[in-house]
Amino acid sequence: MISFASFPSRYEDTTYEKTRHHASVKEDFMDIDDAESFEAQGSKLTCPGESLTSSQAYMRGHGTYVENEEVIASVAGTIERVNKLVSVRAIRSRYNPEVGDLVVGRITEVQPRRWKVDAHSRQDAVLMLSSVNLPGGVQRRKLESDELQMRGFFEEGDLLVAEVQAFFSDGAMSLHTRSLKYGKLRNGQLVVVPPILVRRLKSHFLTLPCGVDLILGLNGYIWVSKHVKENEQEGEEGFDAEAVYSNVNDDIDDSTRAAISRVTHIIRILTSRFIPLSDTLLLEAYEWSVEHGSDVKDLLHQDFGDALVVSITSGQ
Amino acid sequence: MSTTLLSKAEKSFIQAGLLSNPPSRADGRSLHDFRTISLETSVAPLANGSARLSIGRNPYDGSGGTEVLAAAKLEVETIQHGSGGVEGGKIACSVTCSPAAYPHLSSAALEDLQYDMTTILQDTLTHPSLHPKNLGILSGKKSWLLNLDLVVLVDSGNVYDAIFMAARAALWDTKVPRTRSVEYKAKKSGTSGIVGGGGKAGDSGGDMDVDEEVVSGFDTRQIQKATDFELPDYWDEGEVLDGRQNWPICVTLNIVSPVHFLDATSQEEAATPLRVLLMISFDSSQSANIQGMRTLGNGELTVSQLTGLLKDGEKYAREIWQSLNTKLKEDNIGLIKEKNKF
Repeated sequence: MISFASFPSRYEDTTYEKTRHHASVKEDFMDIDDAESFEAQGSKLTCPGESLTSSQAYMRGHGTYVENEEVIASVAGTIERVNKLVSVRAIRSRYNPEVGDLVVGRITEVQPRRWKVDAHSRQDAVLMLSSVNLPGGVQRRKLESDELQMRGFFEEGDLLVAEVQAFFSDGAMSLHTRSLKYGKLRNGQLVVVPPILVRRLKSHFLTLPCGVDLILGLNGYIWVSKHVKENEQEGEEGFDAEAVYSNVNDDIDDSTRAAISRVTHIIRILTSRFIPLSDTLLLEAYEWSVEHGSDVKDLLHQDFGDALVVSITSGQ
Repeated sequence: MSTTLLSKAEKSFIQAGLLSNPPSRADGRSLHDFRTISLETSVAPLANGSARLSIGRNPYDGSGGTEVLAAAKLEVETIQHGSGGVEGGKIACSVTCSPAAYPHLSSAALEDLQYDMTTILQDTLTHPSLHPKNLGILSGKKSWLLNLDLVVLVDSGNVYDAIFMAARAALWDTKVPRTRSVEYKAKKSGTSGIVGGGGKAGDSGGDMDVDEEVVSGFDTRQIQKATDFELPDYWDEGEVLDGRQNWPICVTLNIVSPVHFLDATSQEEAATPLRVLLMISFDSSQSANIQGMRTLGNGELTVSQLTGLLKDGEKYAREIWQSLNTKLKEDNIGLIKEKNKF
């Protein structure tokens, strides 16, 4: 029932695989004449404090600073260059939104004519009352009565799936849910992963054959829920506000519940090993886990997770 | 009071899972399973005893999991009117929550939370029945003040169990320095000399460099001769805290009527209307003593329910108690081995 373990030794991972140069050996990442070689180095990771290039030839961008006329990385990440601007995109960071991204967010605050949404970004996102689907027709002017019942649509703590619509001048993103695919989430649970592990896919709405729907938010919030058949989706004919903004879950049978739990675990296992998620990978991992482990509880064991990762990554 | 935001749909999803037959939880555990607990003692070199504990830590990247750091530090207090010292020493507990552990809470709410935690810990651990006997130094003059400070670094549920386990581990690890009393005797010439001895260690000492104090030879009121103390061996860590096997542990029973479950994650906690904390310790004959009890949340509880919960709670506590003791003893042996290497 209860088991105790020790913390891993704090000094075990101090060995660097990278070769260390003497200070006199200059390692310059940028070479103005040889732009192609820089492209080849594009996947190289920087260390915080690592010198990238001369500040006289280049401008410093995000993730860098200048000291002694050198551009130095301030984060661990990949180098990006646009003309003369050098920046480092951090590996572990909050979500950097782009217009058109699909995100999953949680309402944190209800304000006049808008909701504040936590979307794992640096600032809370904003969802305007004018950018949600209102009951009684998609194209309708918003009324004062809508403003008074905003909590009837979304209230604090509610989860929703939305698209990034635009940015405000301060960099906060504005969301919209003006599609029948978007809106409030129910019948499932949320998994939070580092945003960098969610790749851009053709579709971020996945359906696994085990009766589980997945919404891979680009902000690292992943919604795992019971599968809803296409023709049973709310608002097929017209728009049923009652169903779209409902807080009540459907009946979920035990096998679906176990499948949701299993998929959640697989995502956790993959992300703890820093493996980017994709639809095929998740499906493969699910099949493997059903084949090899009888119980969802088995997935909690570290050895099992290791075996899973080895088998699915070797196949690639 | 919940520290995590959860939508109504998520709440009912979790509750329905707990109530279904067989019950299912988000991470596939059964109702009375704990997540893996990582524990190490003697982590803070400057403290007299310390422990780091984490519940449900991901062994790969170290993420997730409730993490608590506990450290005990001894301080000498003078027993005098006006100063804080108390005959026989005392214990002061404090719990601090890192703002990173509760990013959604305002600073005022965070203060409330850590005040609640401090109160529960302080009330339970300072009960006279648990008081260690070796916190006194000189009767009527000096005593030890044991500061037990805990920091909640990450909270992903079940923080009270973690706090009490970490506190127990840190106090188990605590060493009280050995002391020896020093007394001054008036010489005929009027100056005073020092004579060691009469202390706990009972070893006779030589001459020392101590501030001299003139004592009147006519003063007969002073019954206690010893006026100060010294450490016979600076490098010796000292003896273990008395009664270290008695420090209680906490079992949190999360109640979603009619079932209860253990070791809730923070999402599960937010979906639980009522939590009952049972602080239990076991004496040498393995009979359980309830050292404290709290309810958290706004759910309801009947007396008949409570008697059942107490019985179950005792059973869980016994299991936790035994495995924690085994782990602490193992750790102790490991530390001694490490020390003997040099």
